Amino acid sequence: MKVLNVYRSEPDATVQKLVEIVTRDREADTFDLAVKSPDYDALVEKIFSADQTICWW
Amino acid sequence: MAKSLGIFVTSPDSMDHVIGVTKAAKAKGSKVKVFFTWKATTLSKDPRFPGLCELADDVAICVDSYVKQGFSVDDVPEGLEPKKMATQAQHGIIIEDYDCYLSL
Amino acid sequence: MEYKKVCLMYRHEDYALDGIRSALGLAVENMYAYGVVLDKEMEKLNELNLESIEMLRDMEGDVYSTVPANVEKNGFEAINIEELGEKLREMTHIIPYGIK
Repeated sequence: MKVLNVYRSEPDATVQKLVEIVTRDREADTFDLAVKSPDYDALVEKIFSADQTICWW
Repeated sequence: MAKSLGIFVTSPDSMDHVIGVTKAAKAKGSKVKVFFTWKATTLSKDPRFPGLCELADDVAICVDSYVKQGFSVDDVPEGLEPKKMATQAQHGIIIEDYDCYLSL
Repeated sequence: MEYKKVCLMYRHEDYALDGIRSALGLAVENMYAYGVVLDKEMEKLNELNLESIEMLRDMEGDVYSTVPANVEKNGFEAINIEELGEKLREMTHIIPYGIK
């Protein structure tokens, strides 16, 4: 199980805790959407290679 | 063959991301469906929405949400097929029938 | 056939009710659908909305909240962040819904 966590803003304590539990003993990757020009090509590659994508607030 | 991608749009500040991700996925040969709900249905009035309808394989909006945002059911957004003013079942299709899922 | 398990989470009061409706829409499509209200206290729900939640429960879904006032006022199931995290591990789809 590979989980991709996408962040639309700096993850707060709640999101950090949930990510920590959800990704425990699992492969995990991240993508930061809260930048001026996101690399959407790289994001799509990551989505395709993950089993589950979670786009946090 | 590229995986298919379903995008569920719930945030009204997502248009840049929706278009960016859709373009990138289509460039890889992916089939892309986008469904807008609740306040994100206001994005159907974004000047870039007709272009998105051409770019993606399937675009739909929640008509109930659209009406609750103050629009008339007869006011079909430019670029959208009238039958794509639909229900939450469109979200079900994205979850069941598409390889990958992204909420925005 | 393996049924999908979907959890929608809401952190803004203007999005929670519609998000619950969205969960109900998935339950109708034969998925296990759950809604979780985080952070925000909601007003007391009207009969129609309470009926929607009952329908969701009839289809083996549920609505949870980390906010005690929502549990007391609207009969949501209580959940804390750790329990929610464990629940999310069972989900096929995790949806942070709307804005925060």
